[in-house]
Amino acid sequence: MNLLQKRHVLQSFERAKATKARKHRDTLPTWCPGCGHFTPLQALYEAMEDHAIESKDFVLVSGIGCSGRFPFFIKGFGLHGLHGRAVPIATGVKLANPELEVVIVGGDGDGVGIGGGHFPHAARSNFDLTYLLLDNAIYGLTKGQTSPTSPMGMVSSTSPYGNISKPLNASTMALTYGATFVARVFSQDRDECTKLIGDAMKHKGFSLVHVLSPCIEFHKTVTYDSVQDEVARLPEDYEPTDRVQALVLSESTDPIYTGLFLKEDAPSYLDRVAEVRKQFEAPVIA
Amino acid sequence: MKKQHATVRFCGIAGDGIVTSGKVFSGAAADMGLDVLVNDNFSAEIRGLGKSTTDIRVSPTRVRSMGDGIDALVAMSVAESIPEIKDITEHGFVIFDCENDPDTRKEHGLEEYIPENLGSFAVPLKRLSNENARSTIARNIVSMGALSYLLGLPPDIFTELIDRKLSKKGEKVVQRNVDAFMAGRSYCDEHYGPHTTLDTPKDPEPKKLVTGNQAVAQGALDCGLKFFAGYPITPATTIMEIVAKELPKLDGWMLQAEDEIAAIGAVLGASFAGKRAMTSTAGPGLALMSEMINMGVMSEVPLVIANVQRGGPSTGLPTKVEQGDLNIAMYGGSGDSPRVVMAPTNAEECYSGIQYAFDIAERFQTPVIFLSDLFLGQRTEVDRIERRVERDRSTRVKPTNDELTSYNRFADTETGISPWVIPGEPDALYSVTGLEHSETGNPNFDAQVHLRMQEKRYRKFETLQKELPKPQVIGDLDAEIGLSCWGSVRGAVIEAMDIAREEGVKSKMIVSMMINPQREDDFRAFFESCKEVIIPEMNHSGQYAALMKSRYGIRPREMHFPGVTPVSPRKIADKIKEVQNELATETPRLAIV
Repeated sequence: MNLLQKRHVLQSFERAKATKARKHRDTLPTWCPGCGHFTPLQALYEAMEDHAIESKDFVLVSGIGCSGRFPFFIKGFGLHGLHGRAVPIATGVKLANPELEVVIVGGDGDGVGIGGGHFPHAARSNFDLTYLLLDNAIYGLTKGQTSPTSPMGMVSSTSPYGNISKPLNASTMALTYGATFVARVFSQDRDECTKLIGDAMKHKGFSLVHVLSPCIEFHKTVTYDSVQDEVARLPEDYEPTDRVQALVLSESTDPIYTGLFLKEDAPSYLDRVAEVRKQFEAPVIA
Repeated sequence: MKKQHATVRFCGIAGDGIVTSGKVFSGAAADMGLDVLVNDNFSAEIRGLGKSTTDIRVSPTRVRSMGDGIDALVAMSVAESIPEIKDITEHGFVIFDCENDPDTRKEHGLEEYIPENLGSFAVPLKRLSNENARSTIARNIVSMGALSYLLGLPPDIFTELIDRKLSKKGEKVVQRNVDAFMAGRSYCDEHYGPHTTLDTPKDPEPKKLVTGNQAVAQGALDCGLKFFAGYPITPATTIMEIVAKELPKLDGWMLQAEDEIAAIGAVLGASFAGKRAMTSTAGPGLALMSEMINMGVMSEVPLVIANVQRGGPSTGLPTKVEQGDLNIAMYGGSGDSPRVVMAPTNAEECYSGIQYAFDIAERFQTPVIFLSDLFLGQRTEVDRIERRVERDRSTRVKPTNDELTSYNRFADTETGISPWVIPGEPDALYSVTGLEHSETGNPNFDAQVHLRMQEKRYRKFETLQKELPKPQVIGDLDAEIGLSCWGSVRGAVIEAMDIAREEGVKSKMIVSMMINPQREDDFRAFFESCKEVIIPEMNHSGQYAALMKSRYGIRPREMHFPGVTPVSPRKIADKIKEVQNELATETPRLAIV
């Protein structure tokens, strides 16, 4: 860990102790010290606190991978699902009980690799779900294999001669699929992370928060330092209302933009379900 | 000639109106108070020259199977109908198209294949349709007229039915079809005279018809189904289509998922949230769902999966029947993965069985795989269902106040069932996982914990076994020959036992909708009371027989029907007689080892 990372971890720890959000903590995380995932976890605690979300109404659905253990670290109801299947499971939870606040947490392999077939449909249907996609561009829990978001040329145990496939960009994908809330954030930026996760939970419809969350143990090239050098906040005057403009900026690699790309007000899937059901409701006689 | 029961087959290609013919004939028969069973046999292609046939078996007494052979063939096309002629039984007949009149029928090509002992009735189907309905489209209705006349059935019920079915299309269309129907009748009256007189009840009580898939959907809706997620697949799609229409009216919803994995995933999520949820699928879909079914086993979330079996392996025979999915239902999961497997045998059991499946799934927090099959799911039969509508039905075991104070989602109890709090209810928070876990639900890989939780998950099945209804034992209890079967084969076996009894050989059968778990003591006692056991089923390898062998140590005589068409009662009856004959002449093998 370099000095910057150390300071970041210590700061987070101090701030975590000081806030009321501490009450949302459950068992202690099992991640490596310095893991990028600590920040979105802490940010989720704080967003729950900020928006007064009660634990009994909170359901966290996760996939498999390092990020998959989220449910055990947070007070609420949790469903540690199958690899790649968190999105459909969460869909079922939300449609069965719309009162619940349903958040999905998964990694890059989980979300755009094995679960890549579910992502478009959740986005286009505009299910009322918040999806935190923690992107470390590597398979961490299986000790460092190439993932669908790994950069070209990356050497790993499963691409010993360098990765020869282009990486996927989760933010761009969400924008293409029709998601109505798409944001990207660097996991070092905790305040931004808290704000975006909170806004995403408040958003009616499908929201993606694409978290660039370095794996300090296995990734040799995508690190805190490398990401720090590459990211830049979206321009101050950027308005997150134009999907085409959002696509252009989300595709940029120099710099890699962070912030809210798009927020669109559209009826959610549940709104449309209610619309269909309305015709069957007994008419009210005044 | 008088006949007790008859099987009629309509045969043709896409566009010949085979499905409509089947619906009209079966509907009219049901209106006459006859018992009816309809089996459609289509190719998997929508258009093109796909052959399709519809068999309708009618009788004043209960029709349990499609029987053996047919009594009348209505040949709407020549090439497709030629191979069907061999299925016609003695004194049967064929109706076929002749271009102009009976004299020129030789040119039509079918007659030379019709043996002399069969009735051969050439009717100018297309011409009469043209004359009466101004197009050849009503040729199937002309054939219906001819058929009704030749079977000695009165015309009014048919014309009333045509009126009812077509009234939406206007009076003119109704009149043209009625005219076409009557033209077929008068042609036969003029040229041939009646052939057979089919027995019909004196004071007919019109009967309603239902398919197995309709019964599954209705049963689920009536016992509180709130959420359904599915992916279209033959022959299960009709279940999904019915609930798509009905669920929004009942404050529920049907989600068409992007694939079967998403479908079962959404069902698991909805169940986790405490709602009665299900999916329906067929073999290839069940294979895709197997990982999520395992998740349901491990995280103890109820799942109800109606699997309508079709021919396999792989994409297999999408529009043909087979009982090939017992193994994947029983064993299709990694690790030791106990699940409930049920198999309804008729439409009534499709209805009551799916309700029982929900009760079990919710009370025991387990996946239940409900194995229907294409023959059962798509066939039309007389509706004998006793509706039980309880939309707020719940069998969830809730915790007591004491249990809530230190709530453990996976509490290791005497019954194996852990009291269940659902998200949104206060005073208990937990997470579930597909990882091995302790009673709290937190991941735990300790050997003792694994052993204890495995025992708990299996204990639920011991508890369930004690609560199950007794299996049915049918036939002559003192018989030496016993049979066992599962699913839609039951009807054919009962009919076979009746045939064998009439021909002097007694037999008995044990059958239960519950395949796993099963009331083992009852089955064991039954098998011990038999000198020989016969197990007929619709697959190549004898999947049910293999289960019976391993569970009860029996050595049954296995009958493997390859599927595609329903099982023949005659063949089973012959087997019963053959085995009885061996028992009388040879030293018997030991049925129990």
